[in-house]
This record gives sequence, C-alpha cells and structure tokens, in this order.
Amino acid sequence: MNILALMMLMVPPLAAEESVFRSIIQPVLQKDCEGCHGPAQALSKLDLSSREGLLRGGQRGPALVPGKAEASLLYRAIAADGDLKMPPGGTSNRLPPETVAAFKRWIEAGAVWDQTAKLDVWGNYKQVDLWAFRPLKKIFAHLSVDGFINAKLAEKKLSPAPAAERRLLIRRATLDLTGLPPSPAEVEAFAADRSKEAYAKLIDRLLASRGYGERWGRHWLDVVRYADTGGYSNDFERPNAWRYRDYVIRAFQNDKPYDQFIREQVAGDELYPGNGEALIATGFLRAGPWEHTGMSVEAVTRQMFLDDVTHSVSATFLGLTAGCARCHDHKFDPIPTKDYYRMQAIFATTEFVRPSAPFLPGEHTHNFDAGRANLKAKLDRTKQQMDEFDRTALERTMKQHGVTRTEDLPAGVAEKAKRSKAALNGSEMEEFKLFQKHMQLYRESMDRFEPKAFAVSSGPLDGATDGGPNLKYPLRSAYQAQDVAILPGGNLQSPGEKVTPGLFHLVHRYSGYGEPEIPTTVGNRRAVLAQWMAHPDNPLTARVMVNRIWQYHFGKGIATDSNNFGKMGRKPSHPELLDWLAAKFIQQGWSVKALHREIMLSAAYQRSSAALDPKQVERIDPTNDLLSYFPPHRVESEVIRDSILAVAGELSPDAGGPGTFPQINKDVAKQPQHRMGSLAPVYRPSALKRERNRRSIYSFQQRSLVDPMIEVFNGASMDFSCERRETSVVPTQAFSLLNGQFVQDMALAAAARIEREATTAESRISRAFSLAFGRAPTGPELTLSLRHYEQSKAHHKGHPAPARVPPQPVVHMITSELTGEQHRFVQQEDPATFEENLHPSQVGPGTRALAGILLALFNSNEFVYVY
Amino acid sequence: MSTKSRLLTAMPTRRDLLYRAGMGLGSVALKALLASQEAQAADGVLAPKPPHHATKAKRCIFLLMEGGPSHIDTFDPKPKLSSLHMTKFQKERNKFEANMNTGERYFVRSPFEFRRAGQMGIEINSLFEKFAGVVDDVCFYRGLRAESVNHPTALYHLNTGTQFGGDPAVGSWVSYGLGTFNQNLPSFVVLPDLAYPQGGAANWSAGFLPAHYQGTPLRPAGSPVLDMAPPPGTSMEQQKADLAYLSELNKLHHQRHPEHSELLARMESYELAFRMQAEMPGVVDLSKESAATLSMYGIGGPDKDADAFGRRCLLARKLITSGVRFVQVMASGWDSHDYIEKAHGARIRAVDQGIAGLLKDLKRMGLLDETLVVWAGEFGRSPDNGIRQGGQAWGRDHNATAMPIWLAGGGVHAGRIVGATDEVGLASAETVHPIKDFHVTLLHLLGLDDSKLRYLHAGREKQLSQTGGQVIRELFA
Repeated sequence: MNILALMMLMVPPLAAEESVFRSIIQPVLQKDCEGCHGPAQALSKLDLSSREGLLRGGQRGPALVPGKAEASLLYRAIAADGDLKMPPGGTSNRLPPETVAAFKRWIEAGAVWDQTAKLDVWGNYKQVDLWAFRPLKKIFAHLSVDGFINAKLAEKKLSPAPAAERRLLIRRATLDLTGLPPSPAEVEAFAADRSKEAYAKLIDRLLASRGYGERWGRHWLDVVRYADTGGYSNDFERPNAWRYRDYVIRAFQNDKPYDQFIREQVAGDELYPGNGEALIATGFLRAGPWEHTGMSVEAVTRQMFLDDVTHSVSATFLGLTAGCARCHDHKFDPIPTKDYYRMQAIFATTEFVRPSAPFLPGEHTHNFDAGRANLKAKLDRTKQQMDEFDRTALERTMKQHGVTRTEDLPAGVAEKAKRSKAALNGSEMEEFKLFQKHMQLYRESMDRFEPKAFAVSSGPLDGATDGGPNLKYPLRSAYQAQDVAILPGGNLQSPGEKVTPGLFHLVHRYSGYGEPEIPTTVGNRRAVLAQWMAHPDNPLTARVMVNRIWQYHFGKGIATDSNNFGKMGRKPSHPELLDWLAAKFIQQGWSVKALHREIMLSAAYQRSSAALDPKQVERIDPTNDLLSYFPPHRVESEVIRDSILAVAGELSPDAGGPGTFPQINKDVAKQPQHRMGSLAPVYRPSALKRERNRRSIYSFQQRSLVDPMIEVFNGASMDFSCERRETSVVPTQAFSLLNGQFVQDMALAAAARIEREATTAESRISRAFSLAFGRAPTGPELTLSLRHYEQSKAHHKGHPAPARVPPQPVVHMITSELTGEQHRFVQQEDPATFEENLHPSQVGPGTRALAGILLALFNSNEFVYVY
Repeated sequence: MSTKSRLLTAMPTRRDLLYRAGMGLGSVALKALLASQEAQAADGVLAPKPPHHATKAKRCIFLLMEGGPSHIDTFDPKPKLSSLHMTKFQKERNKFEANMNTGERYFVRSPFEFRRAGQMGIEINSLFEKFAGVVDDVCFYRGLRAESVNHPTALYHLNTGTQFGGDPAVGSWVSYGLGTFNQNLPSFVVLPDLAYPQGGAANWSAGFLPAHYQGTPLRPAGSPVLDMAPPPGTSMEQQKADLAYLSELNKLHHQRHPEHSELLARMESYELAFRMQAEMPGVVDLSKESAATLSMYGIGGPDKDADAFGRRCLLARKLITSGVRFVQVMASGWDSHDYIEKAHGARIRAVDQGIAGLLKDLKRMGLLDETLVVWAGEFGRSPDNGIRQGGQAWGRDHNATAMPIWLAGGGVHAGRIVGATDEVGLASAETVHPIKDFHVTLLHLLGLDDSKLRYLHAGREKQLSQTGGQVIRELFA
C-alpha cells in the first residue's frame, strides 16, 4: 500500500468529501454553471452558488437530493440522462465522464459543502496564457530586430536566405508602404544606386510619399470596419464619415503619435473640447453597422451598439476578444461577465451626434461644387416627379368633385388629396414611394458637403441628434446616464446586478499597472479609459499595435492573431522581440514611422523570398515562423485594383473628400437594392475618370453593395473587425480579373498608354513588363509574348470589335408589399455626362493585341504576389 | 487537386459527360451517377467529406420566404380570430416593442378560406391548390420562435445564426462540413428574387469561413455567375489563346519560385474557372426541359411571379442533381402590413405550383428521401394590426414568437404537424424551440453535429448555433 492510499484511509470521510468538493465540484460549478445559474443571473431561477440554492432548485424543482444522485436533477443534467442536458452546447461541451462520476460520488456521500472554499477566479489561468498581460520586459538580450531573429535561427541551425535582388526589394518595399508598384524609373534609379544609404533613402522617400498614408490608413480602416453607410434595412449613408477616413490617412501620413491617435478616437470630444480633428476622430466609436427604424426596438438597438463598441474597443486597442463575456464569464481569459459590463458602462453615456465642425486645413473640399451640383440635379428631378404625382392626385380629386379650379374644392380637401395620394393607383403609389425614398436618400447625401462631424458626445447635444426620426434624445439638462446591468446570457429582458463603469481588472491584476476609477458622471468616462490605454505601462497597448505593424510587413504577426492576445490567440513566435519593439515604439514617442524603419531596415525584411535550403526549412520551420526567408504573399484586393490603374496610367491623383464611385460589374450595379419599403437609386459610377479612378480607399464604402472585385479577393468585412486579410484562391477571382469590364478596359488603356511611350512591338512589351513587374522580360518571355501579340493581332484583324453599346435604361420591378402586385420602373439616369473609357472599337488590332498582353500580366501570379 | 493542365484541351471531363448523359435517365441511374460522382470527386478544400453520423439527407434546398409570411394565413388557421375580429387587443406594453407595434391594436381575422388537405388532413389556405396535393410528404412545424421583429436582423438570424451580418450562412456551414459533389460548380448556390433581400449579400456570406464556402448568387438574367462569360467581342478561341499565354508566363514564373505552392493553386483556379465556364450554362439552361417538366413547375403560365419562382425551383432541382450541395431559393414580398388578402394571396399563388412541382419532381426522381427541403420566412405575423387606412385594408405586423415553417424529404416525418401555437396565433405554445434548435436540427438531418462543426475564429470555437442547441427530434421519424 503506498503512502497516498494509506493517507486516504486515515483521513475521516467527511474531509475527503470536502477535498473532492474543493478540487472538483466547486470549480466545475463556478466555471461551467454559475455563468447562467449564479447569483447574478440565475436562469430558470436556479442559483448553484450555494448548497441552499441547489436544494431550493429552480423552475424544474430541487436540483439536489443529498444521498441520491439519480434523483438529483443536477446529476441527471450533467449525465445527460433525460431531456435536460448540461452544460448546453451539445456533446462536446459535456463534462468528462470522470467529473460526472465524481459528482455522483459526492452527492451520494451527502453533498458536503465546504463553506470556507472560495475559488479564486483570478488564480485559474496558466502563466503561459497570461503573457500579454504581464509588464513589458525591460532588459533584452538583443538590441535589434536581427539580433532576435538571428538568435532563433542559430538556435535551430537554420541558415537565413541572402538579401533579395534589388529590383524585387524596391517592389516589395514600395507595395508594402504605398500599395502601388514602383515606376520603372524608380526601379532603375534604385538598381543603379549602389551607395550604402540607397535603401534607407528609399524607405524615407516612401514614408514621405502620399501613397503611404493611403496604404496604411486602409489597414487601420480594416480593423475599425470603416464604411460610409450604416447597413441593415436602409443602409443609410453616413454623409460625414469620410472625414474620419481622411483623419486616419492624415494621422498615418503625419506620423501622429499612436498614444494621441488612441486618445482622439476614444475620447477626442472629452479630452480636447473644441478641437475639430479630435471630434472627427470619435467617428471610430460608431464605425460599426447600426440602424434604428420603426421596426426595431430602441432598447435592443442601443444594446447592440453597446456590445459592438465594447467589443471593438477591446479588440482594436487591447487585443482582447471580450464578446464571449457578454453571456458568461470568459472561458479562456480572465474576463468575468461583470468586467465586461463594467467596461460597457463606460459607453453608457456615449450618444450619437452630428455637430458642426468647420473644415480643417488639409481636408479636401476641392470637388464640392461639382458634387453638390450633381446631387442637387438629382434632388430637383426627383422633386419634380413627386410634384407631378401631387398634381395628378389633385386633378383627379377635382374631377371627383366636379370642379376645375383648386379654389372650388371644399376647405382642406386639396391638402388632403396631396398628402394622402388616395387618388393614385397602385403602380403610381409604388413609384411615388420610390421617389420619396430617393428624396430621403439624396437629402441625406447633401450633408456630405456640410462641415459636420460624424461623432459622439457624452450625453446628447441639444438639437444635434443623429439617430434618425425614431430616436428622441432628451434635452442635455434632463439627460441621465443609462444604468448598465449584467445581462444573464446576454438577455436584455432579464437584467441582473447593476454595475458601475470600470476597466478590465486583468490588466492591473497581472501587470500591476494602475486601475483608475471611472467616474459615474455623464462625462469623462471615456477620457479615463483613453488615458489608461494610451499609456506606456499598459502592457497590451503597445504590444498589440507593434504586432499589427509587423503583420502588415511580413503577412503574419509575431503573434498571429492580432485581435486576440488571450489564451486562444496563438503565442508569439518571438515574444522578446515583440516586447523590445513595443518598448522601442514607446521610447520613440509612439512613432509608427520610426517603427517601420526599425523593421524594414533589418536584414530579416530584406531577405530573398527563396529559402536557402528549402528541404531544411521544410523540416525545421515549415510555416516560416522564424523568418529565414521573406514570406511571399498575395497583395490585397485594393492593391490589385490600384496597381492596375497605375499601370494603365489611369490612377487619379485626387485624394480625400466624400467617397467616389468606382466602375464595378454592371450586373451588380444594376441589381435592384431594397431600401425598407422601396428601392435605392441605381449604382452609378462617378462620371469623371478622375473621380472613379481614385485609389480604392476613397471608394464609397457601402455595406450592402461591395465592389465584387474587391470582395472576391478577400476584401475586408465592414461588419466585423478584420485583423488580417484572407488569401483564399477561388475560381471567381479568375472571372473577375479575366472577364471583368474594369480590367478589360484598363488593359486597353494601358496598351494605348504604352503605344504612346514606346514604338516597336518589342519595346512595348518590354515597357509592359517594366510597368507591371518592375523588370524587363526574359528572353523566353519576350519570345512568347511577341508570338502571342502577333497571333492576337492577326485574329483581331479578322474580328473587328463590336461597336460600343449605348447605355440602356435600367428597368426595375418591385413587388408591392401593400398589394403583392409587381410594378415596373425606369430608374433615373445620372444627370452628369459620363466620361467613357477607351473602347476596342476606337483602336486598331495592334492595340487590342497589346491589351491582351496586359490582361495576361494583370492576371499573372507575379503581378499579385509580393516577393 | 491535380495540377495536370486540362485547360488547353478544354475537353469536358468524364464527369461532365456523365452529368449530361444522366439528365435523361431514370431515377435509379441518376442516383447511381450521383453516387459515383461523390466517390470520384477530386480532393481539395471542397471535396466531399463523410458526415458525422449516418443520415438520409445529402443535400438541401432551402425555400426562403422573405418578409415574414403569416402562419395564421397559410398553414395554421385561427378560427377564434373571426369572433374577435376588430375587437381591441389589450397587449402588455413594455420597452421591447418596436414603434410599429404600438398604438391602438385590433384582432383581425384571416380573409382566406381554408380547406383540409391530404391524408393528414391539415387545414391550409385553399389558395395552395397544388401544394395541397403534396402535404403528405411534408412535416409542418408550429413551435419555432425567432427573436427579432426587424427584417434584416431576423434574416441574418435565420440565415447565419446571429442577428449581426457577417457570420457564415447555413449553406456555408454545410459546405464546410460536407464539401460538395461537383468540383466544377459552387457548393452553395443562392437564387435571389428580383431584388436582394434586406441585409443584402451578407445573408449568404461565408463570414469567417474560407471564401470557398461562400454562397454564389446565380443571376436570373445575363451571365449567371458574375463575369463568367468573356466580354462581348472576345471569342472563346481568343480567350483560350490568352489563357495559354498566361499559363506559360505563370510556368516560367513558377520555375523561379519552385517552393511557392500557392502559385500552383492559383494556376489551378484558372482551370477550374474555365471548367465552370463550360459546365454552368448547361445547368442553368431550362430551354431543353420537356413541356411536362416546365408545366409541373408552373413555368410558362400567365402568372409572371409564378413563372419566375417556378424557374428558380426547377433550377434548384437541376443544380442539386448536378452535384451542388446547398441551394437557397428566395421569394420576397411577404411583408403584408396592409391588404393581406391581396398581398398574401398573390404570394401564395406565386409559390404554390413551384413548390409542389419541386417536391413531386424530387419524388419522381427518387431523390426526395435524400434531399432536405425547408420552407420558412424570417418570422411570422401578428394576430392583430394597427388598422391603417380604415377597416378594409388590414394586414398583420411582425411577430417573432410564432412563425410558419415546414420541412420535407431528407428523413423528416412526412404528413405530420409538430407543435402548436396558442388559440389566436400570438405565440407558439407546444414543442417550442428557438431558431438555433432549428439550425442544429437541419445540420443533424444532413449528418452534421453542430457541436462538432466548429471553426476557430478570433480565439473562439464558433459554431452555427453559437452556444449549442437541441435537436428537435419530433420533426423526423
């Protein structure tokens, strides 16, 4: 008999049961049950936090009959013996058999409850899972990116790849920092510059170029789910949201210190009153989808916002996926439900406003007159058509009354006739509703050009509500902070314990960093939160941002899941490097550009994308976590589109201001789009090339209508924070790049451009390669290309291009929800004169053949991958 | 996936030939063909995967009635409302009512006649003339409850399991769990009505699942898949030459980056695209269908809506017999706040024959057993109304606590009514289940266990039901 068995014999039975209770029963009750059946929530009126609670039971009767496991509902539920099966979530959520058996023994032995046992919810986590919450390291074994990277490579006996070839390097760095390919001249200049500083100078030039802010601003917009509309039924435009988009671009361009960037976005209104820039920044807090209509419930709409903003702030700045704690204590990370709702209470006084905020120097207002005039023309025309229906209604009413002059109608009848439209038939009524909807949408759009901010304030601003007609704000003087309570199971209809605003306690708990009180006043809740996040001692803030920056450079973060630094996020491959970069980032005044230099000037970044010894890599580091070579990756959808425009010579130099409308697939553009009760106007690409051919970041981001070419190449969701773009390969991508009208048009435009810039077939092909790939064609490529060019030219000679098809009126059908009848409409034309793209019928067979070469280059792997 | 180039030959694969040959064969041969197709499908991300448990249903057609069809005016008559007609409904007021449901409210009777149908004897709206003939294949369920009374959130809930847009659709989860039969076609196809539903394409998004599982909407006119056809003026011959040139460029490039396997996958995707381009037009072409088939689906009749819906139903059947795993057919316009007699009447006439034709056709081909058919809207309608525009124009508002839904084929209990609503149809009262239980049941019928069908996203093991649900066993034998 061993010692342990001997001891078991010696301890009195009661004590043994107590120890089972402490080691098995109570942890399970607390971790797996009390989320829903605890003092705060007690679903089915069941509270499992005490023996009394178990004996009292819930709606189904007592949960515990001491001594009789089979008669105890608690046991039957966890044994899944009967219709009640717990914990919920199917078989994979069930307790392991040995735990169920322990419950059985415990109940049969009398269900002894040790009053002194109290599980420490904070003591339940493995050290290794808490890495991100620990303070940043202060002392490092290395003092450069390469120091850390090379040490690991040496440890694993992996040889790093040599430096990348210079043409590839400038292409890599330029795509990375600007999202556009380098021009042939830039490539040649860099290839020729053998000076030591050439590369550092290149990085400085790129960081200073306008493309930089547009490229890196887009990354941030992915994280915050930027859109120009609100989603859901009406997908209403947010006519001033573009100012937030431009704010983000400016912030990156001007290297706004990241701590300041946080403060402005989270509490710009509170911390910097009167500062327009900071007010615009708060658009971040309402970037998610949101809508309130007569068909939604105000309390639900509000709760959806509160959950959304809690989640988005946590994920964006702290790398915490807090959403799980909405219904129950977080299963993996130390976020009790209570902490989640305390965090949420910080936003309980955050209200939507659209106050006036004069345009700032540097904001783009240059194209306002034309934009306003175009919208005004649409508005006027719609108004005219509505007036027409007024007249018809009136005329018919006069006829019914047998009069010929309005004055002869009885008092009030004329007004009523116009208002009720009772004299209109079903089809006319549907059309009237359509115009009414369009008026509403156009009126909203007119605000694009007004100096207003898509913003928030703590408590409402009198007369500045921004929630649509169905939300009524009280006067500021009468405003009271909304109470926030724990919502058991996330259910709004049965609130539990009320909470006061507070921070995620885990940060203080594991890092020792202070935990300031959040005021319970209407104002300054977010101010405290922002200051607390934007602080060198917050262990998460700098780590999370540094990791994001690293991820965009290498395609993968040091910690792969950049929105989740908790247990379920993958652990960092180089934790010390992450800390060193974070410390450096803070030390250099939270400068993102300094961080780019630190990373891009490393040998690790400049390595060739071909492993030195692929077999060795396959064996030791198949996922290239150790970065023995530069990981090649596909560029994002916006980069594909912008690069095509650049090669075609069609990329517009215009920047900023209200979103513009790119050329998208025609079928999608003409697709009828529901807007609660009616249809939206047809999607019309911007009439002028310089508008529609802007960089993709300036495209109007409509939640319900995404440019299919952007979408098919794994564009960012506008509903959820996108921490990293996927790069799936699906056949519909081929359709879009090969057959899509935009790419076809741009291939032709590029061909025409190249014909102007070079004279022989050979030099033209060579120019095409330089523009697209940053290099001349190889011998075999040139031969192949010339052959295809000649063959295509001959083909086109025999097959003249069909004439341009003039635009057809767009006919839409709508099924009336009133009567179930179908009605047909012709949607309005765009009042502006459309500046057409070059058409095949306007060029000769040679240009068309050259366009075929360009089309293939746009589709090639080399064009869409970075090496 | 094979990297051997089939692109340059553009020869149909053996499988292609089998499909086309199969169209005219009897049901036994067709089933054998489908089985052989399953056995030989290529590997790759969409290759067929074994289900979690043995099951009858292999594929699913989901008929989504957008707008919220009334249970009271379709399959769950409430005679009590006739006696309460135009009496005031004293509803408990609370802050969880939308504006639409406030103000003075009155009970309204159903304006429709009902008649008993089938052996089972269910009372249904007598405008369902053809559907009445197939009710014995159908399991009606009256216990389901939605949660939202707002169209887009309720649609997202029914289609994706959450009220926020952006989560994977049911069809995406099924494709993720089971793969698909025909690698040349999408696994999950959506046949929208004239306009996209509220909430748009997020209703069939793959969400955080890889893009392969995304629903592909087939357009009723023009190119069925976006940009599938070469632009006007580009001959197939020229496109083949362009593709051959592209392929050569990619090969040379790959020689310089031999270790980069993604390049091969991308080259293969062009070949797959080309095969889809060759196969899809045949699938969507209804012109070669017999007059008998067309008329079975109500195609070519005087009712334009019925014709359009019938086409979508027949197309759904052709897609699943061509190896598509999950097809969602939309029919919009059920949001009858006013004039419910006209509005719902028109909707019912529009879908009646298409649905009946679909069930009959599947049965005729011996495929009903292994094809799950679901008919549902995002919520039901209220027994009461705010009575806009006077007494003649009444309709019904939104109601999340009771809704009509039925299932057929795929192992569900034919000819049964499960659950019940209260006597006025305000709320379900027996065998009450939330939407997530319906989702778990749908997956179960297709051989998938919701709690095993998980995907790690943003640090959470996500599943369709979100937090788990219960199989509604009463629905299947």
